[in-house]
This record gives sequence, C-alpha cells and structure tokens, in this order.
Amino acid sequence: MTDLLEIFDPKAPPRAIGIDLGTTNSIVAYVKNEKPCAVVDCDGQALLPSVVFYGHQGNVVVGRNAALHAAESPRETIVSVKRFMGRGAGDPETKRLGPYAFAKPKPGDPNTIFFDVHGKSITPVEVSADILRTLKRLAEDELRSIGGAVITVPAYFDDAQRQATKDAGRLAGLDVLRLLNEPTAAALAYGLEKKQNGKFAVFDLGGGTFDVTILVLDDGVFQVRSTGGDSALGGDDMDRALAHEIFQLSGHDSDAASPSEVRVALDLARRVKHALTTATEVELENPFAKQPSSFVVTRARFNALIEPLLARAGTVCRCALKDAELGAAELDGVILVGGATRVPAVRAYVSKLFGKEPLSDIDPDQVVALGAAVHANLLAGQSTNDEVLLLDVIPLSVGIEVGCGVVDRILPRNTTIPTAARATYTTQQDNQTGFEIHVVQGERELAADCRSLAHFTLRGIPPMPAGIARLEVTFRIDADGLLGVHAREQSSGKEQAVSVKPSYGLDEQTIEQMLLDAIDHGEEDLMLRRLAEARIEAHRIVTSTRKSLASDADLLAAGEKERIESALVTLEKVAAEAQANDVRRLQLHIEDLDAATKDFAGRRMNRSIARAIEGKKLDAIEGAVKNSKGIEAAHAPPTNATKES
Amino acid sequence: MLADPFATLGAPYRFDLDLPAIEKVHRELSRALHPDRFAQAGASERRAALEKAATVNEAWRVVRDPVRRAEALLAIGGIAVGENREPQASPALLMDVLEHREALADARAKNDMVKIRALRSAFEARERSAEEKLTQGFALAFAATQSSPWRERREALEAILPALGELRFFKRLLGDVSAIEEEQA
Repeated sequence: MTDLLEIFDPKAPPRAIGIDLGTTNSIVAYVKNEKPCAVVDCDGQALLPSVVFYGHQGNVVVGRNAALHAAESPRETIVSVKRFMGRGAGDPETKRLGPYAFAKPKPGDPNTIFFDVHGKSITPVEVSADILRTLKRLAEDELRSIGGAVITVPAYFDDAQRQATKDAGRLAGLDVLRLLNEPTAAALAYGLEKKQNGKFAVFDLGGGTFDVTILVLDDGVFQVRSTGGDSALGGDDMDRALAHEIFQLSGHDSDAASPSEVRVALDLARRVKHALTTATEVELENPFAKQPSSFVVTRARFNALIEPLLARAGTVCRCALKDAELGAAELDGVILVGGATRVPAVRAYVSKLFGKEPLSDIDPDQVVALGAAVHANLLAGQSTNDEVLLLDVIPLSVGIEVGCGVVDRILPRNTTIPTAARATYTTQQDNQTGFEIHVVQGERELAADCRSLAHFTLRGIPPMPAGIARLEVTFRIDADGLLGVHAREQSSGKEQAVSVKPSYGLDEQTIEQMLLDAIDHGEEDLMLRRLAEARIEAHRIVTSTRKSLASDADLLAAGEKERIESALVTLEKVAAEAQANDVRRLQLHIEDLDAATKDFAGRRMNRSIARAIEGKKLDAIEGAVKNSKGIEAAHAPPTNATKES
Repeated sequence: MLADPFATLGAPYRFDLDLPAIEKVHRELSRALHPDRFAQAGASERRAALEKAATVNEAWRVVRDPVRRAEALLAIGGIAVGENREPQASPALLMDVLEHREALADARAKNDMVKIRALRSAFEARERSAEEKLTQGFALAFAATQSSPWRERREALEAILPALGELRFFKRLLGDVSAIEEEQA
C-alpha cells in the first residue's frame, strides 16, 4: 500500500502535538523517543508569551516581541486574551482594570467581545488563533510536518469557552484531536513519570484561571472524580490587586489613569510579584511621580492583598473534595500546576488546606503542555502504551429552563464524559406547533443566574391539544466536553428540525469567512487546506478499515467484504489523484466507504463490548450474591433488555 | 434513561449491588469504547463508539447512585417515577421530616456541633433503613416475576415507593447537614 501521507513529506511522519494555550504563556510540546518535550524557539525559550500586537500596517507580532509594544500601544497589544474567550459583549470581564477599547457589536453580530484595534474589530478567537499559528510554525520548524493537536483548556471552562478554543484551533489550521482539561493533562504527565496508583488533587492556578481536580489513578486509568474552579481567578488578579496598591502608594488615581499607565502599573505589579517569590520586600521607584521618589511593597502586604483570592480557591477545593466523597487525609498527593503556584503564600495555603507538602518536581509552567503531548501521541496511535485512559467529567451541570425560569437539571456536574441524557417535554397550549428550549450551564436554581448556552427551536409539531405532544430531547456531551442537542416529537415519531442558536461565540458562517480572510491567497489556499484535511481523513479511514478487515474478517456478511474492498480501492485512487477542486468528490468517496463499513463497525463494537464484559460480569454477579445477606440468587437481565425507555 | 443501565453493565436487577465489581466492568467497557481509542478510526466507527461510551457512562451514573438506581429499577418494572408522579409521602413521614428540619435549624442557630453530629448519625441510620427496605422490596418484586403474574410485580413495586420517598428525604437532610458543617468550618 502506498502511504497517502508520503505525498506531503517523504521523510518524517506527521507528529501529533500538545498545546497549552495559557493566559500568560503558551507552549507546544511533542513526544520524542517516548518522552514528552517542549519545543523551544531560536532563543532557547519554551514559553511563548500569550501576547499579540496588531501593527498599523496589518502586521501581527506574537510573543516576547509583542510584549515590548504593550506599554506604548496598550490598546493594540492584546494580553491575557484567554480571559475573554467565549464571553459576551457586555461581560463583566470587559469592565475590569485593563487598557482595552471594546467595539460595540452591530445588530446581527455574533455575541462575542470585539477588541477595537485601529478601528477594526478583532475577536478573542482570532487573537488566540494568531497565538496558535505561531506555535504551529514553531513545531513545524522542528518536526517538518505535524499531525493533529491536543489543546488544553481549564477544567472549569464552560461550553462556550471550549467551543471558542476549538474554533481558534480550526482558524489556525490545526486538526484539533481533542480539548483536554489542564489538570488532567498535568496528572497524565505526573502519573506516567511516577507510575504510582492513588488519589490525587491537582491545584492549578494559572494566569487567569483556577482549577482543582480530584482524580484516582488506577493501572493507567485516570478517572476524574470531581472538578471545580473559577474561570476568572489567577495570577492576573494578584497583579491587579498589586496594581491598585501601586497606584495608591504612588498617589495616583487608578480611575483617572490612561491605558498606558494601567499597562505600566500591571507590568510593574507582575515584576513585584515575581520578585517577592524570593525577596521579602521590594523597593520601587514611583513610576508616576515627576520627582524621583520610591516606596516599598513587602511580602506580608502582598500576602494580605491576595488572601481573599486564596480564600476563594479554598472554598472551591473543599467543594471538590466533597463532590469526590473524599477527605483531604485520604489523598496520596497534591500536584501544583501553573506559574502562580510559585507564590510562597499559595504553596503555604495549599499545604495547610490539604495537610501535605505539594509536589512540583515537573516545571509547573510546562507540565500541562507535556501532558497534552502525551495525550496527542496516544490519540494519534503513535504510543506503545495502550493501557492509559483518561475519564474526565463535565465541570458544570447542564439543564433546561422550564416554567418560571427554573432550571431542570439534565446532567449534573462531575458526570463522566462522553455522556448523554434524554428528557421529555410537552406543549403548553392547544395546537402549539413550535417549542423553544433554552439550555443553560451552572449550579444555580434560576436560569437567569446560570450561563446561557443555547436557544433552540423545534418546529413542525402536528397541531394537537396541550400536553399531548411529547418532545424527546437528547443531550450529548462528547469527549471534548462539548454539547450537542437532538430532538424528536414522539407522537408523530418524526425527527424535528432543530435550529440551535449558541448564546455566545461565532457561528459557522463567520468562522468560514474568517478562515478565508486569514489565508493569504484566500479561496485557493483554503481549498488546498481542505484537500489536505480530506486526505488525512481518507488515510485514517483506509488504514483503520484495513486493520478491521484483517482482525475481524469472521464478522463480515456475504458480499460485504467485496463491497468494502471496492469502496476502499476507489477511495485510495481518488485520494492519490485529487486536485484542489476535487475536495467534494474525495469527501463523497470517504462517505461511501463510511456507509459501506457502517454495519461492520456496529458488529465490531458489539464484539468489543462482549469481550470487555466477559469474566467481569460473572464477578459482578457473584459479588452481588455474596453481598445479598441471604436474599435469593440474583437474576441476570435478559440479553435483549437494552431498550429505549 | 437511554438504555437499561443494568443490562449495559451486565448487572443483575437488584438494589444491593457489588459496586466495586460493577465499577471494574465500567472501567473495562470504557477501555474498549472510549472515543480516545477510536481517534484514528473512520467516522462511522467513531460515532458508534461515542454513542456506546456515552451509554456506558450514563449507566454507571445511574447504577452507582441509590436514588437513581431505585428509580431505574422501578422504570424497568413499568412504574412511572419522579417525585411529582409518585404518591404523596405519608403524613407521619412528613411530620417526622418537619421535626428533624426544625431540630437542625435550631442546632444551627445555636451553633451546637454536638447536636448536629447527633442528628447526622440519626439521619444516616434512617438512610440505611430506607436502603434496607429497598433491597428487600426489589428482591421480592423481581423474584415475583419468575412465577407470578405481572400484576403482582406491579403491586410489589408500588409498595416500595414510600421507602424511596424516605430515602430522598433523608438524603436531602444529610445534604443540609453537610452544608451547615461546611459553613461552620
């Protein structure tokens, strides 16, 4: 068989990469000789500051060089863009101390924040895509050709924030294999290093977000028991508290400060914070005084300033332990992640909270990217370690708004993903032919207090008296933690048209347009990229189909093998010969092979289930009988009991 | 519910289950079906795996939680469940719960941790007793299906409903105790 991918690069096979898209810094890593390592730039630096500068001539600068523009061009230099991902135009985050100008959205615009840069509106998704593009280039310089990418997100990110991250990946031209939760990524990096089973807490305080995850590691399975967090709590907030203090000490009114002065104060605050990791006090020159003068910030004062932030993190940790049904004493270890955990007061707080010295032997700035690289390698099928499995959860409950604005919780927080749930609703008026459903995410009783995810409308319900129609709504959350909704009207048995309108973020059309705009030669380049993507997909399905044909030949029905073989050979031929304008044709042949293998795939899946359950099932029944305290023997359910209820 | 969670996990229809053993089944099924295992597969296989993995996770979520497990067993037996569809709790139980709630509010106002701990153990005892009733009730109901007609099983299952109501009440009270303990900490 000719390897389809050889067409792109005859020398190196494409490598999967892991990306930590951080609030302050971003990193790209990959697995080299079975060990994850970070890609460094020409200066030997692994950390790429997550800063993007937009110049007057349309030039885009990312990283350390962009940061140099921050003081001079505070509005054109976007720092900590992650805090704005998946947020709406009026989000409180836009009103906090910061130098940006925000554009007012026009009617019909998607609900996202727009930075006003030289009179042009730029969304956080585009800014993030610029950072990702730089990382991608960095990786390509080292690896020649890169395969898919795993991008990490804070565990506490909601659906809109996750979707925004995935959109940024697509915009940057990455094949996003998976969104991985940052604490889980860190645990993966640690777990594989230490090869130790047990219960762990991951305390992840980054630049802008805080996560805590409680997980159990058992023979390669990383099962997240609970997660909690605050997607607006991090090192930035320490900087902001310190900046306010600096304004006060320098006798300057923070409300009257210009964007440049705000940027100066924030940068100074960050340097003071770093210095106080080793020093107990720092003397500063007053940045705003006309006459030279100075003042002192002590570590004790800094500790007092961040005390309320730590208390917030503490409450979140206690709640996560409770959700995991574990006491702090039962934990085998606590892992520190994120640059902000270098602050001595944070370490002291964590040791006291969990009653043990936390682990930080893997660089807390790199550990997430290293874990992401390991996962990317697993997903790309390039790892020899097939025992490893991550079972993650949703951080926030998903529900539907019912009468009086109350939330009907469909999937509680900490449900293992992927997952699905079904709920049935009815019409409230006679002859009602449409139905609107509002999906929200959060723990509060009232929908107005939760985060709105989407509105969707069902149409074409046959006219009937109120309460007769039965609308069955299925919610699915995939392994990225992203929600999908599907609805059916039961009495007519028809699938209903569902139009989902996300409450935040970009719609498909906008993304398409951005993709076009982002590529230098527009349409033609986009088609070439599409072709490359379709070829990768073709290669994937051809390889996996050949493998299944070889391993499960006995499951093939008469004539089925020939049908599959013929679709397979045609697809290979089309893929090898396809030009830029053949993308649709190639996709159709992929669909053909997919259709030809559908039943076979189903049979293979059932075989996997049977194999997995074999042996275990007997154990379970024997166990149940043993525990049954004298009650009669258990009945195994009939084998055909799997039914929709 | 998407599918019969007991059948999905190869577990018997009963309330008292060996959860650690079923957790192992869940883990093995996850190993076989998790979408991470199919990242390199074709679209139809990826879809099939995603769907099965979701069903398996949903089943484990139902089976491991006593209230959901009881509701699932009732649903399998054809009894409509959900608090609003079940019969009202008995006046005696309502009285009981009301008194407990008052005692808890009182102890909270006085910051009486000794009393709060005592109430916790009392509620835990009632929770255990409700679970015991459910164990026996379901054993009886599902044993009945072997030899006796459908109507008999229905009656046996309906007789279980008050115990489920009791379990819900005491779980909620225990949740209140935890909230108070957290607030005092």
